[in-house]
Amino acid sequence: MKKALLVSAALAALAGPALAQDDVTLVISNSQWLDALRGEKLWAAIKAYEEVAPNVTLEQSAIPSKDYADRIMTEFGAGQGPDLAIMQEGVFYSLADAGFLVDVGEVAASADMNGTIDNAVIDGATLGIPWQRAVYALIYNKELLDAAGASVPTDIDGLIAAGQAVEDQGVIGFTSRHQISDFTGWFMDFQNWAYGYGVDWVDDEGNLTLNTPEAVEAVAAFKKVYDSGIIPVGDDMPTQRTRFKENQVGMSIDNSGGTLNIASGGALQSANLGAAPLPFPNPGAHQQIFISISEHSDHPEEAAAFLTWLVSPEGQTRLREASGPDALATDVAVTEEFAATNPWAPEFAELAQNSRSTLIPGYEVETGQIMRSVMEAVEEVLIRGTEPSEALATAQGKVERMF
Amino acid sequence: MTEILLRADAKTPVARSALGGIKWRGLLPYVFIVPPVLYLAVFMFYPLGRQIWLSFTNTRLMNPNRSEFTGLNNYERLFADPEFYMALQVTVIYSALAVILGVTVGMIAALALNRPFPGRAIVRAVLLFGWACPNVAASLVWLWMFNERSGVLNTIVTGIGLDRVAWLTTTQMALPSILLVTVWQVAPFVMLVMLAALQSVPEEVKEAARVDNADSLSVFRAVTLPHVMPTLQLVSLLVAVWSIRRFDIIYLLTGGGPIGSTSTLIVKLRQVAFENYDLGLASAYGVIGLILALTVAVIHALFTRHRLKRSQQ
Repeated sequence: MKKALLVSAALAALAGPALAQDDVTLVISNSQWLDALRGEKLWAAIKAYEEVAPNVTLEQSAIPSKDYADRIMTEFGAGQGPDLAIMQEGVFYSLADAGFLVDVGEVAASADMNGTIDNAVIDGATLGIPWQRAVYALIYNKELLDAAGASVPTDIDGLIAAGQAVEDQGVIGFTSRHQISDFTGWFMDFQNWAYGYGVDWVDDEGNLTLNTPEAVEAVAAFKKVYDSGIIPVGDDMPTQRTRFKENQVGMSIDNSGGTLNIASGGALQSANLGAAPLPFPNPGAHQQIFISISEHSDHPEEAAAFLTWLVSPEGQTRLREASGPDALATDVAVTEEFAATNPWAPEFAELAQNSRSTLIPGYEVETGQIMRSVMEAVEEVLIRGTEPSEALATAQGKVERMF
Repeated sequence: MTEILLRADAKTPVARSALGGIKWRGLLPYVFIVPPVLYLAVFMFYPLGRQIWLSFTNTRLMNPNRSEFTGLNNYERLFADPEFYMALQVTVIYSALAVILGVTVGMIAALALNRPFPGRAIVRAVLLFGWACPNVAASLVWLWMFNERSGVLNTIVTGIGLDRVAWLTTTQMALPSILLVTVWQVAPFVMLVMLAALQSVPEEVKEAARVDNADSLSVFRAVTLPHVMPTLQLVSLLVAVWSIRRFDIIYLLTGGGPIGSTSTLIVKLRQVAFENYDLGLASAYGVIGLILALTVAVIHALFTRHRLKRSQQ
């Protein structure tokens, strides 16, 4: 709360006399700094702030995505960590729940924010600013699908048929995370299948319901695709994306950030990449990333001033150039040049209208724990051939004992 | 100064007056032992004590300093969870096989390298590579080798007319695959230590056995093995303890899956601590792992005592 007052004071100072000009270093943690090409572009975009505030130096804390949640939560729990953290929604809710994030309501009020801010407001306090929202779509390699004589699928049977036709050309039909070794990524990806078949995970009273007919249908659909042989079983996500970049994959379900990664720096030309709605009856999911000020920061005023610049038209324009088609905190359109060279981008903006958070409403902090039970059930179905209804009933029993 | 020390060593009256004499010499062992004791206290005993304490509290990852004493609650939860017994079973099987296979392969390699042949130094250097290679880098290389579509192992398997093997994605193959990587890493260390032990076996005793018409196997059983047995037991203890607490290889290759078939206590500990944020329960997992490692150490101590008794008889 004290830091929130300091943030207010900082904003007041921004509106009037300049901030004290002591040299300050703001450390910003993000796993994206390590992404090939995109990391450099994102860093260059925010580094522009140093021109606006010459007394501020921005410093990276680059943490691999696989370790990011563990490390950032350990650092915050120990009263340490960066001044600002850029993080997935799940980590954001955990840190918010522990009271480690500063209220930046006044920063949000300084800009014309869009709906992406809604999930950052917890118990009336705005604990973060939307950094990017990456929605999922079905992406495909146009040339490979054309060569296979396959059309863009709109349902699971179509996906399998198109995947097998592509496989007949000697390349991979469809990529998807499918291993517990990549648990966090897999459960977020799997929410597309769940939401696509109408799963809610909680009933009207807020009780967890993991073994609904919709969930059974979603797991059965995933099993059907897995068994069809069009998924490269054993490949992790970086490998799958690299293969896609190199024209070795026909289709995938990926988010806009991942798609931008695939469309950059490989053999696959961005113009040869297509995006379409997910092959499910209902809309899918999105990954929301927030940037928040740490309660442990020694420079909350300067951090708030930086965020105020970030949500300004200048900051958002800079961020847009590095973010591809991801939705940002304010409605800033992709450049004409980007849209022209990346014809798949508008589909993501369209899908973002109806996508849902990967977190379970009312159980945001516990989503990982709950989805661990779900994904272990999916594993049972895929590997042991257990009936989806039986495996999900076991998962339901587990979470009932937990909560 | 050097002269004074030399004199002190010679126990001359000059030395006693210059350096505190007998008193100083009596303190010298303590001076030497303080740094390692301090190191162990800060980096081992304190964390260990803290972990044991945490296992009796409801500490959460996000509020490590705001916890309450909950007695044996975490242990009650642990012993009521079927996944704990599965993790314990996997840990015991994995550690036992890592010791048996790692020590056997290492010992065979040491015996082979104990006799001179052209290029022995090169072969020894190549065999040591697995041990010298950082675990994370080795795991990532093995991940590629295990790849079902394009991995070199399946290229070999299909090359000899067999079906592709799902090395890491089936419950039948995941643990053996991880054991393969473990043995690849552990065996060179065993080889190095056992080679040193083998080279200390007195040649004249072996020669005497041969004069008595003992064949190679008999020489090994009657002379070599008893001589290197203490080293063999010690290296087995080390491999067992390392295996109980091994994390990186397992986490990077399978993350404990599929269906918990490679989920050891330490992998489960990470899941409970960082996915469920339950440091109290995670610490209880750690304490069980510690008890397991101590059990192995006690068994080793009993073996050593038994051997000493026999040698005195």
